[in-house]
Amino acid sequence: MFQIIKNEWRFLVRSRIFLGITIAFSAIMLLSIFLGNYQIKKQEQTYQNAKDHVRQQWVSIDEMNPHSAAHYGTYVFKPSNLLSSLDEGVNNVTGNVLRVEGHVQNEIIHSEASQMQAVSRFGKLKPSLLLQYIVPLLLIFLAFNSVSNEKQSGRLKLLVLQGAKPIQLIFAKTLSVWLYGILLLTFIMTAYALFNSQNLSTDIVIRTGLFFSTYSLYYFIICGLTVFFSARWQNATVALTSMLGIWIIWTMFIPNILMSSAEKWYALPSRNEFQSAMTEDRSKGLDGHNPTDKRSIELKEKVLKEYGVDSVSQLPINFDGMRMQADEDYGNSVWDKHFGNNRAILKQQKQSFQLGGIVNPFISLQNTSMGFMASDNLHHQAFLLQVENYRRVFIKMLNDKQIFGGSKTGNWSWKEDNAFFKSVPDFEYKPTQISEVLSNYMLDILLMILWSILVIILIVYGTKKIKII
Amino acid sequence: MIQIQDVSKSFKGDFAVQNLNLEVKKGEILGLLGANGAGKSTTINMLLGFLNPDSGNVYINEIDTSTNAHDTRKLIGYIPENVNLYPYLTGLENLDYFCKLAGLNYTKDELENYLSTCSLSSDAHHKKVSGYSKGMRQKVGIAIAYAKKAKVYLLDEPASGLDPLASNELSTLLQKLASEGASILMASHDIFRVREVCNRIGILKKGILVKELNSKDVSANELETLYLQFMQN
Repeated sequence: MFQIIKNEWRFLVRSRIFLGITIAFSAIMLLSIFLGNYQIKKQEQTYQNAKDHVRQQWVSIDEMNPHSAAHYGTYVFKPSNLLSSLDEGVNNVTGNVLRVEGHVQNEIIHSEASQMQAVSRFGKLKPSLLLQYIVPLLLIFLAFNSVSNEKQSGRLKLLVLQGAKPIQLIFAKTLSVWLYGILLLTFIMTAYALFNSQNLSTDIVIRTGLFFSTYSLYYFIICGLTVFFSARWQNATVALTSMLGIWIIWTMFIPNILMSSAEKWYALPSRNEFQSAMTEDRSKGLDGHNPTDKRSIELKEKVLKEYGVDSVSQLPINFDGMRMQADEDYGNSVWDKHFGNNRAILKQQKQSFQLGGIVNPFISLQNTSMGFMASDNLHHQAFLLQVENYRRVFIKMLNDKQIFGGSKTGNWSWKEDNAFFKSVPDFEYKPTQISEVLSNYMLDILLMILWSILVIILIVYGTKKIKII
Repeated sequence: MIQIQDVSKSFKGDFAVQNLNLEVKKGEILGLLGANGAGKSTTINMLLGFLNPDSGNVYINEIDTSTNAHDTRKLIGYIPENVNLYPYLTGLENLDYFCKLAGLNYTKDELENYLSTCSLSSDAHHKKVSGYSKGMRQKVGIAIAYAKKAKVYLLDEPASGLDPLASNELSTLLQKLASEGASILMASHDIFRVREVCNRIGILKKGILVKELNSKDVSANELETLYLQFMQN
């Protein structure tokens, strides 16, 4: 088998057309990585500048009423990720700046389905575009006549007579084309590592390792199927047409059909529906800005009873802040309910996509590619959740200062000094652990392994009936 | 040794070979003459183990090809009408590759020796096969079989399209192989070449061996007349 692989590689190395294509393609890949990296680093700089600017604004507050500060709010920035220069995923549609303000939670209303970006990726020169669409095409063009050419030229007879078994030949042809895909993949990963040698972390190395592994699996599936067709069909054109048909179905039709179906099966509420439902539910709770609100009066009576006083003016605390926080707490529970509903729907959509991998390993590849490069919707949701948790801590700190900071109810002109605002912590993004990512995408990985096994079985059993003459 | 005993083979009800009996002993060259569709290639494919006879038996050195094709193929050297080698490899590299597939690791000198023995000029050894003539490729094909130390050579129209010089060299080479103890079966349209090279001649018509004779017993003209008679009847 080694001899056959070696011979195939001699062909690849000696073919000028092929070498030309490889060099041109490698140059395009290098350019895409360079541009991706440049963009990410520029974004990173912009992000850092904006983050510093916003923080500076916050810590420069000389004195301000804490509740006013809660409405003054701040901004949280999603840190740009070096990994996303390999696969941008949903990042370019989800945005990366969120406002943090009292009573106002961020929404997630975009659907997982709409994040597939199956066809919309064409037109943007990204390593993921090249790796997911173009490299498989190259592999198909390399492999489609690998066995049929041997058959048509009569060399297959000679090879078999010399002792080569057809199954060995087919596996060797598959492996040699697959190794070419691996070479391109290695080239991209090496270039990526060199461009980012200063910033490589264990997390990035593990994630790129997993990225590499899933692409390797997908390339094996493509190569194995193409060589199988090349062996099964007498005519190379039929093998090429079959494989191009599969490529089109896998990369264009099935993702789009699945996209529409999943959105229909598990529909997310529209922005209007989401906002209406939130407003309606919030209206059933306490209104922090309305002292005559029924629930506000109930809270006041409860607090007065607790402190054993008759009026809010006798309270040692600021009841306005307490009412605001109660409003906030209720708002949080409403958001948790609706956000939870949306997350459940998104999870169902995600599972539908993942199951789509049963008929289309390309879907599994896209899922894992975005997942391992931290640019999928799950990472974005995790970011949103962290921002919301931060918002709650942030607002509670301000309300608590309003309540217990020494001001009295109704004293809206009371202000806290700069030291307090400086003590409010900044948002720190905690990246999703790789173990969690792995568990999220285990199904996709397993499906790709199953596809690879299926291809091996196809080759083993399907080639038994191959006609040598 | 090649033995074909009462072999019949049909495709979709039409006989390609019918009750064929043939034997090629060690050191013997048998020429199979016949028009297109006479059953020559089918016979060779059965000997190669790529087709199984519907009835009868095919043996290579007394091993049944239907049941032990993998073993019999080790003994066979096959030279088709067009030896399609890898065009991006040199003659030497092609020979090396095919030998390695057969588990034979020869030194460069040994490989060169095989090519020279098969009349391929030494300056062609290191040239890419894409620039070879048909005759040169046939010589590399024979070198592959020769280096394999084949006991049986099966040739399917080997001289077709060769110039007279190359064709003559091929004849000489085959006689050399036979003198070394090989059994050779050569299917051909070329009456004169067959009479010149082969010890015995068989004429196939519609899958039936209609005549078998010693080449010494017949002149080229007589053979041609005989062949044409069979083809016209």
